Amino acid sequence: MAKRRERIDRPIRVLTEDIYALESLSRMIYVAAPSVFPVLFLLLLPLFTPSLYMQRVLILTAVYALLALSWDFIAVATGLVSLGQALFFGVGAYLAAILNLHFGLPPMVTLLVSTFAGAAIATALVAPCLPLRGVYFAMTTLVYPLLLARTIEATAVLGGTDGLVGIASFPNVWVERYLVLAFVLGATFALRRLLRTDFGLVMRSISDNDQAVRASAINITVYKLVAIYLASALGCFAGAYFTHLYMFVGLSAFSLDLSILPIACAVVGGMGTLVGPVIGAFVLVPLAEMVRDLGTLRVVFYSLLLVALVLFKPEGLMSFLERKYRQIERWVQV
Amino acid sequence: MLEVRELMVFYENGMAINNVTLAVERGEIVGVLGSNGAGKSTLMYTISGIILDRKLKEQRRGGERITVFGEVVHRGEKITGLKASMRVRRGIVLCPERRRVFPESSVLENLKIGAYLRDRSEQREMLKYIWRLFPNLFQLRSRAAGFLSGGEQQMLAIGRALMAKPDLLLLDEPLLGLAPAVQVKVIEAIRHIREIGITVLVADQYARPLLPIIDRGYVLESGSITLAGTGAELRENPDVRAAYFGV
Repeated sequence: MAKRRERIDRPIRVLTEDIYALESLSRMIYVAAPSVFPVLFLLLLPLFTPSLYMQRVLILTAVYALLALSWDFIAVATGLVSLGQALFFGVGAYLAAILNLHFGLPPMVTLLVSTFAGAAIATALVAPCLPLRGVYFAMTTLVYPLLLARTIEATAVLGGTDGLVGIASFPNVWVERYLVLAFVLGATFALRRLLRTDFGLVMRSISDNDQAVRASAINITVYKLVAIYLASALGCFAGAYFTHLYMFVGLSAFSLDLSILPIACAVVGGMGTLVGPVIGAFVLVPLAEMVRDLGTLRVVFYSLLLVALVLFKPEGLMSFLERKYRQIERWVQV
Repeated sequence: MLEVRELMVFYENGMAINNVTLAVERGEIVGVLGSNGAGKSTLMYTISGIILDRKLKEQRRGGERITVFGEVVHRGEKITGLKASMRVRRGIVLCPERRRVFPESSVLENLKIGAYLRDRSEQREMLKYIWRLFPNLFQLRSRAAGFLSGGEQQMLAIGRALMAKPDLLLLDEPLLGLAPAVQVKVIEAIRHIREIGITVLVADQYARPLLPIIDRGYVLESGSITLAGTGAELRENPDVRAAYFGV
């Protein structure tokens, strides 16, 4: 008799909404593990990466994770494809530098201010493009970082091509290491949480079918603005953090890499899951460093791997892992 | 000319088609009646081979797992594993549910795409036939298909399928969302199509306009055939009358 492969959810006991039963230990571990282990892993990681080089790779990874998260959030919450993560990064980076150099604010304060004020500036810049969709939105956001970078270059304000130097660094290495990791974790969980609220429901619906949302008497521009604001806050934080880390800011804060690599991270990790892009960053960025020894061939290897991942696991690592964790496959008689 | 033997189709969460066996003889109009979710479209996808593409795509994405058992036999040959494009070459052409016309292309361009396998003289011949079958499409020939009304789009979709010169035309819900007067026009067209020697398998839930023109029909309910007979038999059947005529 013929057989087919069936995929079913792992048997779980039904828990009602307001009864939290403490069951067997294995059951509790099964429920908690997907969130607890990654958090522990991330928090312990700086303790086991002794060399300065490794620390810097870790930090770079976290920064790209933030940008990837920001990209994915825009995609989930508004359905728009942004190619301008570098805009958010650059605005945050320059704002932190200005606040520190001209107003003498300490790093912790500049981080806070440039995250929130920087996001407001970036949102104001992107706001006119919000009615656009698809390729048109992508194009305009791609141009913004170039616009700002060339303005700085041409008018020689803010240090011109030399950039700004002499920016204060963090009080100590532990603050430096944990600040960004904590922010990655906090932002991931907060945004995931947000998408599950009623507010997030509207956001997800906008990316599904914005006309139907408008037909429900909801002003979608407000929601899109909030989404862009939150996403740019992540990017601005990453930029401001980087400025203080290297005590320098230059035109590289608007570089194209900062817009493109986060998208690769999101695609590899699994678009639309928010956690996926973070995982993607933790795969791709260290990988890029590892293949650095291969010289010119590194780009070849890196690209091949990227193509293979997208071709054979287009659902993304996160969706794949989640499916393997939550579901079992078995053969059944037909 | 077409036989479906013990067909079973599973989607991830259950069975869509359960042990369906049916036959279509040359020159017939055969109807498949069923309400929403009965499995009509899945049956059409399986016969036209589109389900195989969907299967590969879904598996690559790790999504829905589609399993097909049973056989589809066309002119004595098993075609169960054949790709949709190869089935079109054999003469099995699907006119999909919801029309799926190319909205940005003109009516004429839409028709030309359908004739991809045919040479110019055949194209001209079919085009002439379609202008006769649907005269108002000729008036609209340079208009973008997206601006046509629902009925005109349905006629265009049928026309596009006909351009491939099928010998078995599969019509998936050709009456969906059409005004009764327009349904009559489509029904007339189906009758006409049979007269030029094209066998038609039509799946729909509108029994009232459909039953008078079909030679034989099958009633599909949650994936299984519950009733089979000639059009007249089905029209007299009390269950069919209760379920589809609302009396």
